[in-house]
Amino acid sequence: MARMKFLCDAERCIECNACVTACKNEHEVPWGINRRRVVTINDGQVGAEKSMSVACMHCSDAPCMAVCPVDCFYKTEDGVVLHDKDLCIGCGYCFYACPFGAPQFPASNASTPDGRATDWFGARGKMDKCTFCAGGPEENGSEAEFSKYGRNRLSEGKLPLCAEMCSTKALLGGDGDILADIYRERVTVRGKGSEVWGWGTAYGKPEQQSDAGSAGKQTERSS
Amino acid sequence: MVSRALFLSVWLALCSVAGGASINGGAFAAAADDSAGTQALGQAAGFSHPEVAPGTCSTCHDGMTATGMSANHPATTASCDTCHSTASWIEQPLNNAPVWRAVRYGAEHSTQASGREAGVLIQSAGETWRQIRNGPITLYGGLVLILVPIAIGLFYQWKGPLQLHGQPTGRLVQRFSYWERLIHWSVAITFVVLAVTGILLLFGRSLLIPLIGHAAFAWFAQVAKNLHNLVGPLFIVSVACMFVMFVRDNVWHGIDWQWLKKAPQVLSGKAHVPSGKYNAAEKGWFWGGVAFLGLVVGISGLILDFPNFDQTRATMQIANIVHGVGALIFIAASLGHIYMGTIGTEGAYQAMRTGYVDETWAKEHHEIWFDEVKS
Repeated sequence: MARMKFLCDAERCIECNACVTACKNEHEVPWGINRRRVVTINDGQVGAEKSMSVACMHCSDAPCMAVCPVDCFYKTEDGVVLHDKDLCIGCGYCFYACPFGAPQFPASNASTPDGRATDWFGARGKMDKCTFCAGGPEENGSEAEFSKYGRNRLSEGKLPLCAEMCSTKALLGGDGDILADIYRERVTVRGKGSEVWGWGTAYGKPEQQSDAGSAGKQTERSS
Repeated sequence: MVSRALFLSVWLALCSVAGGASINGGAFAAAADDSAGTQALGQAAGFSHPEVAPGTCSTCHDGMTATGMSANHPATTASCDTCHSTASWIEQPLNNAPVWRAVRYGAEHSTQASGREAGVLIQSAGETWRQIRNGPITLYGGLVLILVPIAIGLFYQWKGPLQLHGQPTGRLVQRFSYWERLIHWSVAITFVVLAVTGILLLFGRSLLIPLIGHAAFAWFAQVAKNLHNLVGPLFIVSVACMFVMFVRDNVWHGIDWQWLKKAPQVLSGKAHVPSGKYNAAEKGWFWGGVAFLGLVVGISGLILDFPNFDQTRATMQIANIVHGVGALIFIAASLGHIYMGTIGTEGAYQAMRTGYVDETWAKEHHEIWFDEVKS
């Protein structure tokens, strides 16, 4: 199986926020929840400004998964990190642990999927995050899955919508080996910037990555 | 949020003005110089850097006179100013590595997304928090919670309860008023609820999920989380009342040192040192447990319980560690108190339950207090 990864190319991202909008619309994400966001470094400085689209990176050794007190996370055979909202207790530990700020909590002015308000006492609702457009534990494409996790595009053979509709193809999502091939080609042509942002944190040290670019199929450990 | 975005852009603009003045053209200054600049190259106050000759940074920045290379700095023999300036990383066309390295320090950048810390790309401290929580806190905390009851059990087997030497007189003397008992049991009950739910949330995943499965445990954990969050503030209020009400009798006196010196004999009933209403051990529990640990878990708990004040992840990570360590010590110590107050000392539980003790008990355990009451 392919190991699904996200890759954002800072040389191409133009901070149009289309990935953010696409995500919100596709999954009907509640107000206040940002499954994906675009961050701009050195905003306004010509030549130094770099933008980066970031969401859950679906880490190899996912910190959220390690600290969850109810063990509600699981990893698909594609390496996508998903969680079960029926188990989630909204403790926020995944949010403490995640380096990318991916876990989101419906709090003030938001509600749980069944409409109950969660803003009393500062309590967190059930965690919500990017699913790599792969839904949740419910039956693929079901109503229940959509209301809790959004669209399950992966089960329909489609890749995450944020990356699919990125106008500059800065944001790529899919088989990590193919992404690495594309990125290496870009780096070769433009002759700079060989570092892939976030990959060290999400997928381990370069030598442990599913070997950026090698054609050989390498199966990812699922734990 | 509009005002926040505006504030950010104004702030960044100010930064770039300041940064631009201090470095040549200031390409990678702005937000990055908050993190990379000051962290990598802490500036000596009052030292005029422009007069330093190129390539001579390390004459001062050798780790002795001034901050040198950090332990995790990539190995290099190149001069510092190849990569760094006094304010920031030096501009290197075609090299983005310094930018991404700076991002790792967790600086807040510009973003249209609302929410706290939305502008932070990577917050690495969570990994440290994970290692500490899943490592030493779970391991040593678990060990303490297993070993302390075993030690108490062995002590009980070996010595048995502290018994009265004389015969009970049948005459009772009041030791705790209604309010004192009400406050004590408020603290005790809320403490036990918090301890049990807290232990469930820390160890349940490894202990209970294999036994009862994910769905059943998640139900318990949900109840535990809400109970913990709701009962926590009640505990804090109870502890505050307890402090005010009990502090007068817990002031440390010279006689308490003598009690402490002979503690082993006193505890095994071989020696007698008169004490006031509370003996040295009870005072130790009051100051070290109720007052100090109560404050530690109380404050750290409030930081975690009310995430409504835009506190950052770093604050909550630290609060969680402090809360875990404090609570585990508190629970371990409370086991000693619970033992001494129930099966460990004859008559002690009745005192807090009914408020009254026998005169013989009062004379043998708290002679000075008994004399005061009688006089």
